[in-house]
Amino acid sequence: MGAIKLTNIAKEHILANGERLRVLESISFDAADRSFTSILGPSGCGKSTILNLIAGLDNHSSGQISIDGNRIGFVFQQPRLLNWRTVSENVLLPLEQKQFDRSTMQALGDKYLGIVGLGEYKNYYPLQLSGGMQQRVAIARALAIDPDILLMDEPFSGLDEITARKLREELIRIWQETGKTILFVTHSISESVFLSQQVLIVSAKPATIFKRVTVDLPYPRQYGDLRLFEIERGLTEAFLGM
Amino acid sequence: MNTFPRLLSLASLLLLWLILAAVFPPTIVPGPIAVFKAMGTNLASGQAFYHLYKTLLRVGFGLILTMALGIAVGTVMGLSRKGEVFLDSWVMVGLTLPAIVYSIICLLWFGLNDFAAIVAIGVAAFPAVSISIWQGIKGMDMQLVSMGQAFHLTRSAIIRKIIFPQLLPHILASMRYALGICWKICTTVELIGMSSGVGYQLNYWFGLFSMSQVFAWTLLFLVVMFAIEYLLFKPVERRLTRWRSGVPALQWAQ
Repeated sequence: MGAIKLTNIAKEHILANGERLRVLESISFDAADRSFTSILGPSGCGKSTILNLIAGLDNHSSGQISIDGNRIGFVFQQPRLLNWRTVSENVLLPLEQKQFDRSTMQALGDKYLGIVGLGEYKNYYPLQLSGGMQQRVAIARALAIDPDILLMDEPFSGLDEITARKLREELIRIWQETGKTILFVTHSISESVFLSQQVLIVSAKPATIFKRVTVDLPYPRQYGDLRLFEIERGLTEAFLGM
Repeated sequence: MNTFPRLLSLASLLLLWLILAAVFPPTIVPGPIAVFKAMGTNLASGQAFYHLYKTLLRVGFGLILTMALGIAVGTVMGLSRKGEVFLDSWVMVGLTLPAIVYSIICLLWFGLNDFAAIVAIGVAAFPAVSISIWQGIKGMDMQLVSMGQAFHLTRSAIIRKIIFPQLLPHILASMRYALGICWKICTTVELIGMSSGVGYQLNYWFGLFSMSQVFAWTLLFLVVMFAIEYLLFKPVERRLTRWRSGVPALQWAQ
């Protein structure tokens, strides 16, 4: 469960003046079950559109998306929490229509907040937490539906580097513990190399997959590992030559 | 924490009154004792309760009408571009017309009764509400709505759990504001066309040149306003916005 396969996906927007704007051009890739794939590209190139199509938030113009799995969790660039709900009520938001009883809900909330290390903050309100902690709550919310696939749209780009590093390490731990298939959109080369097994470099307007790179290094990886640096350098060259 | 400045503010108001009462003759500024005595007489005779009840009734139903109209119009303006263009000038006209115009028109159309008063209040106060709701909808965080969609929340769940809570502060703020407007319009309507209510009493005692009674009724009015503010609005608001409290203290908690 959890494999993703995109075949020749294209997406066009029809502008107000009737003109067609091609956003995505023949995007094809595979992400195996339990794999970690990054989509790397410049800002505004349409990376997020790929995630929205997979999540069913948007319709593609042509091509095929096949997803092996029922549930998809989504983590956005901003935490997108409901500030008037407590941390635990935010995590349980997507589960509220499932008619679980109270104690089951509580246990689920505790479980997923525990995974992201925020167990003791469950009764806090989001505005009482730092940006990094808010993003952890958002990750817990995405995990709470027990998804087969986790889509992450530049989730750490709004955070300072120290916090982002900590969260990347934690994300790897969570990924290994839970075995989700993760598709991670980023514009940071080093982030994509540190996190993923496969990096898809996407070119801008219309977005198409320019290069596919495998990062064949064991986890947990260390910041400052020279092998990571080597791959990063290669990717940077490819990125700049695009 | 804020109790002291508030008490100080009330005390200074009372002091100002005492000074003015000492300077001017009682026919112009009656002192607190005369005013409280008049108020006591009114309350003891039961008169005050009857007129207050009539005014509260008109204000209450007027407020309900205002909120219903205001929320409906504001929602249409916030959600539809066409609706915005269509209703924009109506709201502007509504805001510009003096309250006395609504009062006179409604009294002439519907007669000298409570219904006329309620309609006049409801129609005169709603533009302010609709502007607030309109802005609230425009300023809503649509990213939260798309979050709800990404997690497959039903349409009704999105409205109840994501949209409505964002509008609630606007509804509350505009309701407070509308209540103030409703009071003012209600007294105007009562003054020109009713034979009961606080506005009618003010007019009656104005006719008799009884300054202490005019003050007594005004004061009663103020007391009721304060009671509504502190016993109803403030606690409700505090409960609904507690998630905003204590923000700075914990920013550094991580």
